[in-house]
Amino acid sequence: MPTAIIADDEPLLREQIRLRLSRLWPELTIVAEATNGAEALSDYEAHEPDIVFLDIHMPVMNGLDAARLIGRGRERRVHIVFITAFDEHAVEAFERGAIDYLLKPFNEARLFETVDRLKERIQSGFSANYPPAGQDNVESDNTDALSIVLRQLSAQIKPGTAYLQWIKASVGQTVRLIPIDDVFYFQSDDKYTRVVLEDGEVLIRKPIKELIDELDPDRFWQIHRATIVSTRAIAGVVRGLRDQADLKLNGRPEVLTVSRNYTHLFKQM
Amino acid sequence: MMNLSHWFRGMSPQRVLITLLLTTVGTAIVMPYFGRNVTFETLWLRMLVVAVVMLLSMTVAGNLPVERLKLPVWAKWLRREHIQLIALILAAFFGTILSGLLIGRSLIQMFTVDAMFWGMVFFTATGITVGVVAAMFLVYREREARAHANLRASESTRYQLEKQVLEARLKLMQAQIEPHFLFNTLANVQHLVETNPPLAGRTLESLIAYLRAALPQMREDGTTLGREVALAKAYLDIQQLRMGVRLQFSVELPENLRGAAFPPMMLLTLAENAIKHGLDPLQQGGVIRVAAELCDGVLVVSVIDTGQGLLEASSIGVGLVNIRERLAALYGRTAKLVLEENTPCGVVARISIPCSI
Repeated sequence: MPTAIIADDEPLLREQIRLRLSRLWPELTIVAEATNGAEALSDYEAHEPDIVFLDIHMPVMNGLDAARLIGRGRERRVHIVFITAFDEHAVEAFERGAIDYLLKPFNEARLFETVDRLKERIQSGFSANYPPAGQDNVESDNTDALSIVLRQLSAQIKPGTAYLQWIKASVGQTVRLIPIDDVFYFQSDDKYTRVVLEDGEVLIRKPIKELIDELDPDRFWQIHRATIVSTRAIAGVVRGLRDQADLKLNGRPEVLTVSRNYTHLFKQM
Repeated sequence: MMNLSHWFRGMSPQRVLITLLLTTVGTAIVMPYFGRNVTFETLWLRMLVVAVVMLLSMTVAGNLPVERLKLPVWAKWLRREHIQLIALILAAFFGTILSGLLIGRSLIQMFTVDAMFWGMVFFTATGITVGVVAAMFLVYREREARAHANLRASESTRYQLEKQVLEARLKLMQAQIEPHFLFNTLANVQHLVETNPPLAGRTLESLIAYLRAALPQMREDGTTLGREVALAKAYLDIQQLRMGVRLQFSVELPENLRGAAFPPMMLLTLAENAIKHGLDPLQQGGVIRVAAELCDGVLVVSVIDTGQGLLEASSIGVGLVNIRERLAALYGRTAKLVLEENTPCGVVARISIPCSI
């Protein structure tokens, strides 16, 4: 008797796929239902099913990451069917990599095709899309290609960038979240760093030295040991005394000093 | 070597020409007084020395970093023009002395011999008069040019504002429906049609309300807070169905604020963010509270969630940037979007706009 687990964070959609599978494939036993990728992984380890239906967008761990971990170094074979609502990139990649997938809302005919294919594979007991690790066959290359596709897709759907996007600053009792684009410049001030905005300033504890590594270098330039300025705020640079330069800002009256080590930023501009 | 060129900024061929011209005028004025003993050329050359000294002093004085000079309190009123004027007067005096020295007179004689002294006074006075008149003319022209520049700047600000308003409207016109959300909702409805038809009907109603607002051609420019809150509620109803126990929400809208004007789609964006960045990433989900209140003529509408909160590297999102731009275009500085951390976790997003109710 073939076994399967269903992983989807939406309760109704888990119910739906279970209902439809029970109609199309009465012999299939659903041994567990998971609500996120991590649960799917532990359910997989506990039950070792033949098939895993994996939703892609799930909290904690997405379906792509879960599939990679499920596929890694296993002795047995498992068939993974991805479920996704709409994701051009994913669908295209799945088509390319001959990976099984289902689109939400479910098309019954399509589910029927998938079920047919799964039955065939399980009966032949051969071409599961995750063959045992270390087995020398043609498909092991395929597996690598597959996990690369999964890794790429997974990176694509993960939110956030590497650079700092928000400044968290205590203002009275609350912590304000300030979009990085609102910052005119950062300037160190004793043990704090002043974050200067269009209409005021806040203090944060993160020193300039740390900030410069976390800020997008295209948007923020260090112009002094103690100063980082937003490139959007720069109005102009005037040569100052000695080898320094004076930097004028858009929308702020003060003039910042560009120290000698950083004047090269403004050469040939 | 120290670079001195910045002291002489503003020195133009035009200024030198004007100086030469004024030298001639000055010489013509003093000529009748000295006429009997000197030639016009000698006098012109002496006048030129004075004029050049005056020109250099005025230029250098004009380039003094007045803003950065630490002036004593009594001199705080000093402006660039005043300093230039003082420089002109001193330069006329010392220029006259210099021109005297250049033709071989002794410094002591200049102040002791009566004729020489009065000649010098006359010379200096002429220099000052001609110089000050010319300087006033220059300052006046500079002011006019500056006023022109200001006018141009304010015009360009106005154009920029108009552009921002147009851009903001354009952005509003673009569809903001996420296909992912739409198809997921339809998948749920598809299932409910079989298993729970009444709930399927209600969900479709919420979806229709949402689509009506989210499809650009259906959107109107001005809308009321009541309608925007209803839209956010329709969206949250759908999400509630999808997320089950992971989402709890409440909506508090005082009856008297229902009719208040409120820009379209902003509240919905905040609700979407609360789900997407707040509750969705968490296994246990959380609570979302939508609230509106009026304090001191400011309408404050907040979306408060207990989700995972913003990470410092979480992307800011087109939605929030769009809200801020549109608020700026519609209300200038009187409206704002503020984000704060909620305690113990999550985000408070608050839109404040002026309200006349």
